[in-house]
Amino acid sequence: MSLRRTPLSTHHRALGAKMVDFAGWEMPIQYSSIISEHKSVRENVGIFDVSHMGQIFVKGPDSVKFLSYVTTWDMERQKDGDCRYCHILNEKGHIIDDTIVYTIAADEYLLVPNASKINKIVDWLLNNSDDFDVTIKDLSDIYFCLALQGPEAPRLLGQHLNTSVNSFQLKILDDIIVSGTGYTGELGCEIIGPLDKLEFHWEALVDMGAIPIGLGARDTLRLEKGYLLSGQDFKGTESTLETNYAWVIDWDHDFIGREALVSQKQNKYSKLSGILLEDRGVLRPGCSVFYNDNKISELTSGSLSPILKKGIGLAYMDLDIDSKITVEVRGKHLNGRVVRTPFL
Amino acid sequence: MSEVPDNLSYTKDHEWMLVKDDGKVRIGITDHAQDALSDVVFVELPEIGSKFSEGDAMAVAESVKAASDIYAPVSGEIVEVNDKLEESPELINESPYDFGWMVVMIPDNKLNNTLDSKSYRELID
Repeated sequence: MSLRRTPLSTHHRALGAKMVDFAGWEMPIQYSSIISEHKSVRENVGIFDVSHMGQIFVKGPDSVKFLSYVTTWDMERQKDGDCRYCHILNEKGHIIDDTIVYTIAADEYLLVPNASKINKIVDWLLNNSDDFDVTIKDLSDIYFCLALQGPEAPRLLGQHLNTSVNSFQLKILDDIIVSGTGYTGELGCEIIGPLDKLEFHWEALVDMGAIPIGLGARDTLRLEKGYLLSGQDFKGTESTLETNYAWVIDWDHDFIGREALVSQKQNKYSKLSGILLEDRGVLRPGCSVFYNDNKISELTSGSLSPILKKGIGLAYMDLDIDSKITVEVRGKHLNGRVVRTPFL
Repeated sequence: MSEVPDNLSYTKDHEWMLVKDDGKVRIGITDHAQDALSDVVFVELPEIGSKFSEGDAMAVAESVKAASDIYAPVSGEIVEVNDKLEESPELINESPYDFGWMVVMIPDNKLNNTLDSKSYRELID
């Protein structure tokens, strides 16, 4: 099967991007250098073509009840214009995917799942919607998503669209949605709109000075902030509690997976924890983690923080903050310790 | 276009060698190799005095995305390593043929199986 391309594919190539297969999409992994792209976002402003992400619209009188039932958050608490990060769980409390829920109106919501999970989420929503008066529409194929991230992002957004957005708030401007969201921990926004407008927005923002950023830097940026990567930090058998994201759970409402989480809460369980390397080295997913010479875990994510210039990683562990551990990297044991995330 | 200086010898594995007047060989990776690796963020060098046979993995250059073995282009003993790469691995990207050199070896034999600049250029084109 050939890879899917966004309308910006030729732009990415013209900019010298190295393209890779990501969830069946041909996407830019880097344009110039992961390190310099990473720093551009932390210090200036970067633009990401993330049109592979999903856009699923839920409409109808029971939208609030339905989305409260299928996510970890109680949507009764959302006001129009609110965005909320939450998890979609199965009955075992295991994460199917993480998503942001956009409250467009009391009876209209938008979910933005990860590219590789769109079909799974659509099926899951459909299969659990029998008792609710809602319609579920997957418009992922006709919507783009651009992320504009970095301290200069608000200035560029103002210049380009004469608007501003607060963190986790959205605005609707004609045919696009602008939200104060992202995956980098910086100021900025994401713009979602019909695919035929993608080129217009990309070109305008790049002309104004936004620096194109590939998926490579997107990964190091999110890891420095301890954000989860779907399919890597959770792969279908980890719960929201285990990922250490209990703050996305509103316990005071009924939702799929709640019972399992309530019982897990009573017991000990490993939590996704940060590892900061004290020795020089680069961490990689899959590296073994040792405590007192016993292998206790494997890294789900690992890299080098371009800002801290130290190896950082995530692993499911049941150790206190500051515990000394070692990580086996190419046959050598490197010293590190357990730290709170975000790393930065 | 990658830079391929004429005064160096090359391997298929994208290492360069400079044979010095005293017969020692200075070794690094080529411009093409550093470009393919992208940002080098960590370099593991061999110990001085260690010996390698041609084709042995003797060092590692790591980018954000991947670790790449660097192979001994010739059999011999390591007599110098570029300590600056510990603090500044990016020298490999910035100056692959000069400040980014990796090791100096005393070769057991004369260099063979090496490529000249013209052949190496053909290999990477």
